[in-house]
Amino acid sequence: MTDYKLATRRLCKQYPGTTALADMSVGFAGGEVHALIGKNGAGKSTLVKMLAGSVQPTSGAILVDGVQVSLPTPAAAFRHGIAIVYQELSLIPSLTVTENILLGRLPQRGPFIDWPAAHARARAVLADMEIDIDVRARVGDLGVAKQQVVEIAKAMSTEPAALMLDEPTSALARHETGRLFTLIRRLAERGVAVIYISHRLQELHQIADRVTVLRDGHHIGTKAMPDTSAADIVHMMFGEVVQRERPADLCVGSACALRVQDLTRAGAFEAIDFTLHEGEILGLAGMLGAGRTELLRSIFGAESFDSGRIEVAGQALAAPTPMLMKKHGLAFTPENRKEEALVQRHSIRANMCLAGMGRMARGLFTSRALEQPHVDTQVERLRIKVSSTENPVAALSGGNQQKVVIGNWLNNQPRIMLFDEPTRGIDVQAKQQIFQVMWDLSRDGIASIFVSTELEELVEVCHRILIMQGGRIVAAVRPEDITADELYVRCMETPGVDHVS
Amino acid sequence: MSVDAVQQWLKRSVMELVLLVLCVLLAFHADGFFTLGNLLNVLRNVSMQGIIAFGMTMVIISGEIDLSVGSAVAFAGCLTAYLFEAGSAWGLGVAPALIMAILGALVIGAGIGALSGVIRVRFGVPTFITTLAWMTVLTGAAQLITGGFPLTPFPEGYNFLGGGYLLGVPFPAIIFLFVFIATHVLMGYTTFGRAIYAVGGNAEAARLSGIDVGRIKISVMAIVAVLAALAGIMQSAEIMSGSASTARGWELNVIAAVIIGGTSLMGGEGRIRGTLVGVVFLGILVNGMTLMNINEYWQHVVSGALILSAVLINRANNSD
Repeated sequence: MTDYKLATRRLCKQYPGTTALADMSVGFAGGEVHALIGKNGAGKSTLVKMLAGSVQPTSGAILVDGVQVSLPTPAAAFRHGIAIVYQELSLIPSLTVTENILLGRLPQRGPFIDWPAAHARARAVLADMEIDIDVRARVGDLGVAKQQVVEIAKAMSTEPAALMLDEPTSALARHETGRLFTLIRRLAERGVAVIYISHRLQELHQIADRVTVLRDGHHIGTKAMPDTSAADIVHMMFGEVVQRERPADLCVGSACALRVQDLTRAGAFEAIDFTLHEGEILGLAGMLGAGRTELLRSIFGAESFDSGRIEVAGQALAAPTPMLMKKHGLAFTPENRKEEALVQRHSIRANMCLAGMGRMARGLFTSRALEQPHVDTQVERLRIKVSSTENPVAALSGGNQQKVVIGNWLNNQPRIMLFDEPTRGIDVQAKQQIFQVMWDLSRDGIASIFVSTELEELVEVCHRILIMQGGRIVAAVRPEDITADELYVRCMETPGVDHVS
Repeated sequence: MSVDAVQQWLKRSVMELVLLVLCVLLAFHADGFFTLGNLLNVLRNVSMQGIIAFGMTMVIISGEIDLSVGSAVAFAGCLTAYLFEAGSAWGLGVAPALIMAILGALVIGAGIGALSGVIRVRFGVPTFITTLAWMTVLTGAAQLITGGFPLTPFPEGYNFLGGGYLLGVPFPAIIFLFVFIATHVLMGYTTFGRAIYAVGGNAEAARLSGIDVGRIKISVMAIVAVLAALAGIMQSAEIMSGSASTARGWELNVIAAVIIGGTSLMGGEGRIRGTLVGVVFLGILVNGMTLMNINEYWQHVVSGALILSAVLINRANNSD
């Protein structure tokens, strides 16, 4: 075990009533990219938090360079050379790249900050990673991909022995992911032990040397990546797996549910034309910045548009607002469910009654008794795992939170669902259940528009896929005629999106 | 009931228990505290600020604030006196003039509150700023109306609204309980109340769920302003004059009562019942200390310290 930069020995974490992680022994060697994978609740984040010093183990040991250490605080982990980059970026948008990288450690001359030295230090860190970003730029002005890189630079500036990356690609488009992988490789070659946490199975073969799989708090196995197929990993994650295809009985109605004509918003999308039929599941494919989210938001009235026409069930709606579109049977699950779809401190019940409260009420009056049956219906239909619907929604896993958002809208009996990245950051099982919901809705004649960065999901779920590039629809394809890989290529053909290095 | 349920209940009712302890202590240590007369007196004393506190609870839950309620009380009192005087001068009888004056004060009060809401929604100016401005404007307006001297045009019977008794219960206390029930139902059992919680908890999520966030904010600002005007009318009836210098600093007592009652200044969380406890707690505290002949300067110090303690108790209670 002494070869490992970072290792655990029989690490356990118990919470009252549950074992979050049991008997975990694993080692992370310098120079390797070690993937850590498992569905939500498998114990990944518990392990990461213990290694980062923010959660204390119940028993077992953590070893740095073969020596047992105790990590009572994140600062202690940091001193032992363990750095972590979280999924939610921890940068301060209003500060410069330099300030963010050297936050709390800016070099001083007397009582003043030594700016030339600070910028030089930051530049050196970035140069060392072979990245070209202006250190004086405000972080808020950078794209997500560059912000991600700054976040990694911040972690690297402490010259860590081990670097943990939590879902680093979840907000990135595929070509950006490629650049990130190049960067991660470079870091590993310097002898850093990189611990890579991801939901995206297909990435692992590109980036990881070894993979450790967790399931239900248990260490299922650690394998060398070349000897392991994706199917093997899925099998280890789930025990058994059902990779579904779109059921054969789904059909598209003839009636037009939604017609969008020549819709344009300067800088976001241009001359968008399409028709959505009853029961149809329409995919919107494209890279980050292709205008998919902006289009969806404008259709729902969450943001305005400059010109064009939106018809719902044959009726033209001149100035859509979320209120108006709700009245006409539209529903929208936004991309950032935490910030835009849920009242985190409120109960699951309250969150499932946001959109449909008027329907549940008797006149102006409502009560828990009137709401509860609707809530229970959705909890059952969406298989949301809760002990009580009075618990705060913040306590749920990402997948269950997403289901609450969907349930909230199903309670308003929509005719058209607009799903913006409904599967982001949720486990494979929850994804499958959300697909199942879309299919069930389709059987009831309810149409869906489905935006996802995970293009293989679109191929699996949709009747038809529109490809967007640079704010325009460039093609419409049938999923039967295309593979996910081909779809990726079609989406990427446009030049000149965000460049990192 | 299981241990867990008892614990839950204790946690939810901690301020009620603190209030109970305070009452028991005062019952033994303050002469004349535990008499029906005195307790009704407490209720009468807190009723006007209490009425506003219920509206303020709604405003704070919606994620806004109203700092102008004290000035709005003084302004409404002066306006009522002024309108009554004017109505009488036009030759209206006592009753029509009085009704016109009262309705006028309520409507103008609602308009001022709604305007703060509109400025919030349309131009994004925080209500903290707008109502801070109203605070000065309304104080000045009250002084302009009265010319610096209290207006005393009111007829004898008008005093009933602020100092009268109905079946032995002070009339303001009856209004206070009525407003409590109305706001309690509004917040707990209507879609309007649900929407207020949602807007205060996450305005963007509320908007994207098709809730009319603007209408909600404008409505709650108008409601608290109407309640402040109502309190102002009752106040002017109690002192039988419209005075620009009355109700100074009420906004702080009102906000303190709301916070003691467990409502979060962050918005989205709070209960009307909690505010009832907060209002009564403050009233009993002042009453008890007065009965115990505690020096008024000390009363301020003790009140402030207890307000802070109450908030700390609430905070500790909510954090785990």
